[in-house]
Amino acid sequence: MFDALIDGLWLVLQWKAFSLMMVGMLLGFAVGLLPGIGGAATLALMLPFIFKMAPAEAFAFLLGMHAVAATTGDITSILFGVPGEAISAATVVDGYPMTKRGEAGRALGAALTSSLLGALIGAGALALAIPVVRPLVLTFASPELFMLAIIGISCITSLSGAGARGQIKGFAMGLLGLLLSTIGQERQSGSLRFDMGMMYLWDGLDFVPVLVGIFAIPEIVDLAIRGTAIAGERQPENLKAGVMEGVKDTFRHYWLVFRCSIIGVFVGILPGAGGGVAQWMAYAHAVQSAKNTKDREGFGKGDIRGVLGPGAANNSKEGGELIPTIAFGVPGSGAMAILLGGFLIMGIIPGPDMLTKHLAITFSMVWTLVIANIITVVLCLLVLDQLAKITYVRGGLIIPFVLLLVFVGSYTANGQIADLIVTFIFGLLSYFMVLYGWPRPPFVLGFVLGKVIETYLFISVSRYGFTWLRHPVVITLIVLMVIIIAYPYIQQRRDRLRSLANA
Amino acid sequence: MHKGRVLFCVFLIAVAAYAVWAAVGWTFKAKLFPLTVSIPLIVLAAIQLVAEIFGKADTGEGQAVDLEFASDVAPELARRRAIRAFLWVGGFILLVYLLGFPWAVPIFVFSYLHLQSRIGLPVSAALTAATWLFFYGIFQRLLHLPFEDGLIQTWLGV
Repeated sequence: MFDALIDGLWLVLQWKAFSLMMVGMLLGFAVGLLPGIGGAATLALMLPFIFKMAPAEAFAFLLGMHAVAATTGDITSILFGVPGEAISAATVVDGYPMTKRGEAGRALGAALTSSLLGALIGAGALALAIPVVRPLVLTFASPELFMLAIIGISCITSLSGAGARGQIKGFAMGLLGLLLSTIGQERQSGSLRFDMGMMYLWDGLDFVPVLVGIFAIPEIVDLAIRGTAIAGERQPENLKAGVMEGVKDTFRHYWLVFRCSIIGVFVGILPGAGGGVAQWMAYAHAVQSAKNTKDREGFGKGDIRGVLGPGAANNSKEGGELIPTIAFGVPGSGAMAILLGGFLIMGIIPGPDMLTKHLAITFSMVWTLVIANIITVVLCLLVLDQLAKITYVRGGLIIPFVLLLVFVGSYTANGQIADLIVTFIFGLLSYFMVLYGWPRPPFVLGFVLGKVIETYLFISVSRYGFTWLRHPVVITLIVLMVIIIAYPYIQQRRDRLRSLANA
Repeated sequence: MHKGRVLFCVFLIAVAAYAVWAAVGWTFKAKLFPLTVSIPLIVLAAIQLVAEIFGKADTGEGQAVDLEFASDVAPELARRRAIRAFLWVGGFILLVYLLGFPWAVPIFVFSYLHLQSRIGLPVSAALTAATWLFFYGIFQRLLHLPFEDGLIQTWLGV
């Protein structure tokens, strides 16, 4: 095993594999910065180029590209409030308010350092989990996956405002997200739902135009309303000091970063959930870990913990996603499905062989994740102060450029003008949501999880009737869900009692 | 009673009611999930609507974990600027529809910089050229994204 670990490192450090990894990282860096153009789409575009590569070179190239896209996606989210990647939307919620407060450097430093730690934890989990992953993944059949998605939905309690009104609004938004996720062809019977006679809606609403509309448009409108630079009319912060502060923040909250990384790994392992869910679960966990109601109030307004949690989970899930892909050939996400294509092009069949015959290649993937993330974060930290200066440029100069990125990003979803219209409609909806205090994160969570929940519910009922409710893991997850839902109420009650006692 | 807040609740109820109305005629498998989420949505939005009408919604306890718009701009001015921003966004989509991305990008960027941001002609032209070069270099030459022709090119057959 140790020999394979060293052999894996050696495979990545070969000049050709290393150079290809650097090329992949460069592409991933650009793709991460450009909103909408996802890492999965770029992996698909680059797949034909690996035919003449050796397996370790091909995986260094593909994984190098994929590993850094999530990291650099956070940069656009923080600087402009536009998610660079679908999986970096949660970073907008607290990262962008920090930028508006003149703390872009600190937010970026924190996001990048937590991303690096997350990636290292994900890679470590991949290395450690390979021998024991089989029983773990086999424990999770469709009922358990359904319950896990329900746990994701139950995070709405933490993502909504405190108090009954806040919860009503949060759950209503979650339900709206779930409802809109049902648009398109129903997977079991093939019936068309809410398609309004438009072929565009047969496949349902694509995640990218919806997400970009929900998060980017209100931020752009807000910038136009303020008529200032993103960071307002403040004196530029000491960017280097800000970045260092962000790095320190990561270590100050190391335990939160660790927990969120584990959430990312776990969600990554489970098929169908993906990074879209991991980041929100990590964000909800960060909110929930606030000591009391007062401590919680900073979230959504620029709390550093709201940047650290999703940043760590985004990158740790890469390692998690690779576990079932390598061990079973079961991809955890779209990107992993494309990577699986890479395995087949290389003539490698995922499964037991990856743990015996091709163990060095498996470990080369672990090393690629580690090395690519370290290089990216170090390079980013060196140029961050230049990037953060953009937030002091007048908004009127930035808006047309950001709008261009937003709409080209949306357009890449299906290559149709309808993608732009969807972005506009959801941008308008999101504007009113923000204006009237209806939270957007629960909506996104409902929208992301809707299809997963419906699919696994039907499979569970068809396969097990209602006996699946008695599965031990399902019961454990139900208990966990009750705790997650009840926790904010318990916390409020505890705070009330404490303040009464102090009075 | 805040008219906008009330209208937003009514909008949510209308969306959910439409979903229920559309779903009732579908097969059991197809309608189960939409009905399961639409009906509670109607109930929650109706509770919020009642609270808004009777003025009990603004207690401050229900603040969302989310962005808040700038509060240092007068509401009337903010509304005018928001409408103008949405018109620019809508205008950009219309331009893309009529002319396609490659033509819409320089026209939009130049118009926005010169007319909205009041940037001088030379700077606007220089920034437009830089933006177009970025668009052309990255999206067309490097990534080969297939941008559809606009309606006008299709009409003219060019």
